[in-house]
Amino acid sequence: MASSDWLDLNGWLGSLVGWSMDQTHDLLPDAEYGLGPIGSVNPQSSFSSIQPALEAFFHASIMCTVVFTTLMLTMLAIPYIERKFIGRLMDRLGATTALRSLWVGESGVTAGEWWDQLPFGIGTPVGWVINTLNSIWGNDHELETISRVKNRSYHGYWFLLPGFFQAFADFFKFATKEHLVPKDADRVVFEVAPVIIVSTTVMVFAFIPFGPHIYAANPDLSLLFMMAIFGVAPLGVFFAGWSSNNKYTLIGGMRSAAQLTAYEIPLLITVLGVAVLSGSLNIIEIVDFQMGQEQGNVWNLFLMPLGAALFLITMIAEVERIPFDMPEAEAELVEGWWTEYGGIRWGLMFSAEYMRSYAACILFALFFLGGWEAPFQHTLSDIAFVGGVFTTLFSVIPGLVWVLLKAWILFGVFVWIRASLHRVRTDQILEFGWRYLLPLSLVNLVIATYLRLELYNGGNWDLWVPAVVSTVSLVIFLIYIFDEDEEAARLKSRPYSTQAVVKASPGSHRD
Amino acid sequence: MAEMWISMGPQHPMTHGLWTLKIKVDGETVVDTVPDLGYIHRGVEKICESRDFTQITTYCDRLCYASANTWSHSYIYAAEDLLGVEVPDRAEYIRLIAVELQRIASHLMWMGAYGPDTGNLSVLVWCLREREMMMDLLQELGGSRMHYNFPRIGGVKRDLPYGFAQRARSKLELFLQRIQEYEALFDESTVFLVRTQGVGYAKAEEMINHGVSGPNLRAAGVNYDVRWAHPYSVYSELDWEPPVERSSIKGADCYDRYRVRVEEMRISALLTLQALDKMPGGSDTYHEPGDPKLISKAPSRAPEGTSGYHHFEDSRGESMFYMAGGGEGRGKYPYRVSIRSPMFVTIPYASKCMIGYKVADIPAIMGSFDPCIGETDR
Repeated sequence: MASSDWLDLNGWLGSLVGWSMDQTHDLLPDAEYGLGPIGSVNPQSSFSSIQPALEAFFHASIMCTVVFTTLMLTMLAIPYIERKFIGRLMDRLGATTALRSLWVGESGVTAGEWWDQLPFGIGTPVGWVINTLNSIWGNDHELETISRVKNRSYHGYWFLLPGFFQAFADFFKFATKEHLVPKDADRVVFEVAPVIIVSTTVMVFAFIPFGPHIYAANPDLSLLFMMAIFGVAPLGVFFAGWSSNNKYTLIGGMRSAAQLTAYEIPLLITVLGVAVLSGSLNIIEIVDFQMGQEQGNVWNLFLMPLGAALFLITMIAEVERIPFDMPEAEAELVEGWWTEYGGIRWGLMFSAEYMRSYAACILFALFFLGGWEAPFQHTLSDIAFVGGVFTTLFSVIPGLVWVLLKAWILFGVFVWIRASLHRVRTDQILEFGWRYLLPLSLVNLVIATYLRLELYNGGNWDLWVPAVVSTVSLVIFLIYIFDEDEEAARLKSRPYSTQAVVKASPGSHRD
Repeated sequence: MAEMWISMGPQHPMTHGLWTLKIKVDGETVVDTVPDLGYIHRGVEKICESRDFTQITTYCDRLCYASANTWSHSYIYAAEDLLGVEVPDRAEYIRLIAVELQRIASHLMWMGAYGPDTGNLSVLVWCLREREMMMDLLQELGGSRMHYNFPRIGGVKRDLPYGFAQRARSKLELFLQRIQEYEALFDESTVFLVRTQGVGYAKAEEMINHGVSGPNLRAAGVNYDVRWAHPYSVYSELDWEPPVERSSIKGADCYDRYRVRVEEMRISALLTLQALDKMPGGSDTYHEPGDPKLISKAPSRAPEGTSGYHHFEDSRGESMFYMAGGGEGRGKYPYRVSIRSPMFVTIPYASKCMIGYKVADIPAIMGSFDPCIGETDR
């Protein structure tokens, strides 16, 4: 294993299980016991024959529990981030859903000086930054809404916790609700669909490492396994939509099937690009390739920004969040394919949805953001004189922390997108997927192949490669952002009005 | 896929009220629609025949929950026509302020509902926050949050409170800045543009034939605003122009209807600011309720044979009241009150507009017409 991490859960567990098995082995009597016609048995030696299998079994099952517990405990942060962040974005003061929404202030008044309540005065610099930004970029007008700012001011850190444990309350609410199956539903399929969705979603996490030594299973082809299992859930969605015997769920299930098919392919090709670039189908090796222990030393984000963008977009579509939440589309389809579900089945499927989002965030962190490597870990460690401090620091912090931080920040991006975009129509989603994402993902694959075959020399990357790739991508991105069609703006023309597939005048389609 | 009927409503997120839209879909494409109205018919017109003219105001307040003031004022002008009452100038200005603030609040409610219709929840929260400012101002005038019962026959209930003008100015100026943020969120979002442009075309001549009016008609390029075409109140004394969209040859799409409402909110805010400046006696003076500058004497009975009529620019179109005097109690009650609701004709037309578009376009098209079922069913 190339990367080192003191939080060696797998190693510790292996030693613990091995030791306890040895103890059990020693406790058993080393003597022959006659069993009549069957023959005789020696408990110790028979135990020795099954000991490796037992060890592997206990190791794997305990590790599964550990990973599952880690997943569940850290996933509590996901609905918390969603609630708090979207709340901030929605009651923001300041232009649009900009990042300045994070500090709430108006005419120099902020919503409670929470930084003053941090211990040892460590929040003072935060206060300076926020006050400065607020005075520069905060809203600057009459004092009318200041009382409203103060209305939702900060009430102390104890008030943060209830939002965190809201997920527990929700769980008990769902768990105690009555289970109803629609009268004309296909009962078997109706009951099986949540099982398929939830179990496959949880199974995805078996192959996702939270750290170099925290994983439930690590086969050589873990990436392949993981993506395959990730693609099973749409089948359950389709089952759910069909079996409920409801027109809304039917349309929702159909949309889900169409959308997931359209986005699964670009997603897989993008992930294939990652595998090609890193030269491995094993997630841990992909991360190691970005950490630069033996080979490679650059996060994939800087080598294929296009791939990162594609992965983000297709993953948002895969987990069905706004702007691609067409299967759910509560405006016209009530609640889409899960309209008829209630109680704990609905709760589990909804949490499965968040689990998929969480898996998407962790995968993005692993594939593109260097996984458990601290940002600029090697650069900082190589600085003269102070580099040692960083080295010590990074060796103390377990890799798990970096993975989770990256995943949570990425989920913040998901929430940000959700708060600022509208929902795209079905045909537009499919058109976007097939006409833009699929060719772009192929382009990305070509880029990855070229980088790997032509520019990679087997050791570390030459630093000019990521520099050039990142710069070119950034320039293209900026051109794309600022490229406004002035002629169209002057004529007030409608660049998007040709998108409607069927141009209908009222009544023309009436039989 | 075979065609099937889907019944959207009476409880459905798309409806914005209580009605049913039955759609026939072929896959995702809508091939036929049948609107089904009348779930909350309260019989307001009949109730009015056994109420005196002051009591009717509260019933007209409740015609539309999102736009109470415009409806009670609509009634009051018809009643004044029936009873032959002259309204003091200052009262007219105060009414104009109340109505225009209500129009902004109503359009903000529409915009806030249109966000979730097209999939963005932030819009709802933002718009309701700005609506709060308008509600606060209206509460200062009328005393309650939703149903103000503000106008009186011959004038208004009370004068602008102390400091109202200053608060209204600062809030409206803030609101004018906030409109730019909405435009940034909507117009600069490609996703919003692809959802609304080229969707739900409504032709001007068809809308006129169906009787659709108000912002929906102005979105198609028809410059018909009752405040402008047949000025009542003091609209002719103010410097303004109704916002009219220059739509394409196919008619007005959802984006046009969105634009015209945003512009209308801006115009309403500017109208209110102007009215505060031009008000006779100044907006900072205060008169006790019942002062002749606020309310003139009005007869309480309308003799048989008299009739009153007024058409009024409601937030959603042209509302009309026709009243015949000489009801019970020697004319104490009206003999007949007839209410023309703009949405009652708009909803069937909007349902026809959906044909040929996708299921996902239904909330976008229906929401862009700003339905209000309270006034539709009366």
